[in-house]
Amino acid sequence: MIEITNLDVRYGAIRAIKDVSLNVQQGELVTVLGANGAGKSTLMLTIAGALKAAGGKITFDGRDVTAATPEKMVRYGIAMVPETRDVFPDLTVVENLRLGAYLHRSDKAGVMADMEKVKDLFPRLREREIQAAGTLSGGEQQMLVIARALMSRPKVLLLDEPSLGLAPTVVDQIFEMIRELKATGITILLVEQNATKALQVADRAYVMQLGEVVVQGSAEEIAGSSDLSALYLGG
Amino acid sequence: MSFLMNRHTLTVASLCGLLLMLVFISYAVDVRVFTRIATTLCINVVMVVGLQSFMGNTGILSFAHIGFMGVGAYTSALLTIPAQMRGMALPDLYPFMEGLSASPILAIFLGGIVAAVIAAAVSYPLMRLSDAAAVITSFALLVVLHTVMLHWSEVTNGPRTLFGLPAITSLPLTAIVAAGAIAVALMFKESRLGILARATRDDETAARAMGINTPRVRWLAFILSALLAGIGGGLWGHFVGSFSPKAFYLKETFVILGMLVIGGPGTITGAVLGVFIVTAAFESLRTLEVVLNSAQIFSGQVVGVTEIVLAFSMIAVLALRPGGLVPTREIGDAIVGLIRKRKG
Amino acid sequence: MTELIQFVIDVLALGGAYALMALGLVIVYGILKLVNFAYGELIMVAGYTLFLMDGTGLPWLVMAAVAVLMSIFFGVATDYVAFRPVRAKSVTAVLITSFAFSTILQNAALLFISPRARNIPLPDVFSTTVTIGGAVTPLRNLLTIAATIVMLTLFTWLMRRSILGIAMRAAATNFTMARMLGVPANLIISSAFAISGLLAGVVSLFWLGRIGSVVPGIGLEPLLVAFIATVIGGMRSVPGAVLGGFLLALIDTSLNHILPQDLLKFRDAFTFSFVILILLWKPDGLIKGPASGQRT
Repeated sequence: MIEITNLDVRYGAIRAIKDVSLNVQQGELVTVLGANGAGKSTLMLTIAGALKAAGGKITFDGRDVTAATPEKMVRYGIAMVPETRDVFPDLTVVENLRLGAYLHRSDKAGVMADMEKVKDLFPRLREREIQAAGTLSGGEQQMLVIARALMSRPKVLLLDEPSLGLAPTVVDQIFEMIRELKATGITILLVEQNATKALQVADRAYVMQLGEVVVQGSAEEIAGSSDLSALYLGG
Repeated sequence: MSFLMNRHTLTVASLCGLLLMLVFISYAVDVRVFTRIATTLCINVVMVVGLQSFMGNTGILSFAHIGFMGVGAYTSALLTIPAQMRGMALPDLYPFMEGLSASPILAIFLGGIVAAVIAAAVSYPLMRLSDAAAVITSFALLVVLHTVMLHWSEVTNGPRTLFGLPAITSLPLTAIVAAGAIAVALMFKESRLGILARATRDDETAARAMGINTPRVRWLAFILSALLAGIGGGLWGHFVGSFSPKAFYLKETFVILGMLVIGGPGTITGAVLGVFIVTAAFESLRTLEVVLNSAQIFSGQVVGVTEIVLAFSMIAVLALRPGGLVPTREIGDAIVGLIRKRKG
Repeated sequence: MTELIQFVIDVLALGGAYALMALGLVIVYGILKLVNFAYGELIMVAGYTLFLMDGTGLPWLVMAAVAVLMSIFFGVATDYVAFRPVRAKSVTAVLITSFAFSTILQNAALLFISPRARNIPLPDVFSTTVTIGGAVTPLRNLLTIAATIVMLTLFTWLMRRSILGIAMRAAATNFTMARMLGVPANLIISSAFAISGLLAGVVSLFWLGRIGSVVPGIGLEPLLVAFIATVIGGMRSVPGAVLGGFLLALIDTSLNHILPQDLLKFRDAFTFSFVILILLWKPDGLIKGPASGQRT
């Protein structure tokens, strides 16, 4: 579904992503693992169109989307949940969700139905729907960002470090939810530092190090390989 | 170190050479209009280089610059209008000021000092602001200065034209002052302070983390800039002999700013080059306006074309070459670079 | 008592116009973090539009509507001429290009119309006065207050209820994220400039109505007012802009009453010195805006 070939991304003179190739098939949950600074978030932002590739190619459903703008990518069906957990802090929970459905704004009834669906998925959001998003806890904000992404009715969900900085019980909830989402048939690309958790839900995995993909394979293979921690430590 | 000195001396020498050439051509041609244009050009070099020492080093746009030019012009006028003319030129003058007098040259420099002192007194709080707020308050400062000039008739003769300044400004004098301004501005830029100021320009947060007192650094740059503006104002006052407050407002600001932006605010070379280019373009366009007006091709007077052209050029330069024509390397650096390359 | 009523009406009418002007500046600044120096010229554009339509025999309200439309048009044009070519470069660059655009508009007026003041058509209601509680006041003042209330209500409704308004508020804090939800950047920016033009256009009717004529330099004072009000209120805060507008009007009107005649001519100098004092105390303005977003 997503096909990335020989991707290069630069910040000025620094090559953050070097010659990365990666693919995600329909209905799959693929995870990208790696230490801080491995280029995972850069990869996600580039797919979402927020960063420009310096070289290589990204296709989605057979269409070349390498140079597409962020607003185009959502239209094509790719929803991004950034690591920075970008809720709009001054907007209420409901306003955040409405904005997630920006593309479908003329379909009022459909948006209302979607909104009910995500509130069922995340009952906490229903409780806090008229609260400003900035006042939510970290876990709730993470739920909101995911819920908001779902409001655009995506084919592919890009999840960047959803467990970052959350309490262990909340992390468990988030992964439980990812499992549920996968069951609905949506395609997911998941970036994580919490490799153990990610590999439990993923079908396949890529490991990145200093901007390059160093290992790839099925989730079981990667989980079984003994040098995983070595890769993390940069060994 | 001596090598560094060399590089900067080269810059100053090249730019002064340009001024010297202007003076020579002016004497060779010996046409009054040309001399007038050349003199105005040198005064504008003082003004633009002055603006560069604040704006180029700190990255903050200042609208107040022209206000300080006015301060210099009025100060110098107060000190030099001959006693027998004071009654007419400044009918409301405070009695205690009637005795003030200085030689024109001294008065011009005192005008710079008064401008610098006023800048020092009012601007410190403004230097804490950044970005938009800093620019807007400098704009407010220009309005304050303008309002005062416009209404303090005891000292400025109010909105009416103030006349009677001895016309002592000659081309050689302005060229010398312009050369001095270039040297001072370059010395400031390459001094410890100038380097600190540029550090705050490039990354304010990092500069603060390094312990640089940003407001103080900016403040000192602002004072230097006001000093040069004041001197430029005095020179101009003694060149035209009479003026009113509206000479020191947005139209003039726009021209000075245009020269700096087109030349390149980051370098003295750019500032000087900007003055030359814009002056040349302006004078040709003005000639065109005059021709159009005398040929009566249009029903009304053709005015404002020069400003419109300058405005479009500024937008074009900022869009295509944001750092101006000479963005980072002074001419001295370029020459040294060339020599090195040749030596291989 | 009469004097108090008079004073309150003056402050509210002046403050309303100031607040709407400031709002138009903040709406663009909030989203782009860039200042529009050509904003005052929208008043000039509206004024010359009225002047050019004088004698066409159209009803005044139609002429006013066309003037507001022209203000909106030139507001959006500012984006294309001054902002887009240099966007994302720096605050300074955009200030200079918008200053340049302002010069272009002013000199175009100078060149094609006249450097001298031109009278504009005004309806009779603008010159009638009414008596409220013993205070005699121009009806125009009450109309300004009414227009302020209508515009502020409309603005609030737009920002709170419409999806475009929500998107604009979102873009003001995090433009990239808003785009990643499918909100088109250009639509948001153009809308901000259009709203800015609408506000300036509406203000222009009352501003020009007070003076009765238009000159090329007419935009300077409203621009300054908007600048100062936003700096006092907090550059990125919408309530701050409104508060700043009314506060500035309060300062101006009070100075009109307090200052002796020979100092009154220095009123602007006093006002701006006062503003500098406020900034000494609160460098970010009175109301902090929404969480900061990076420039796009």
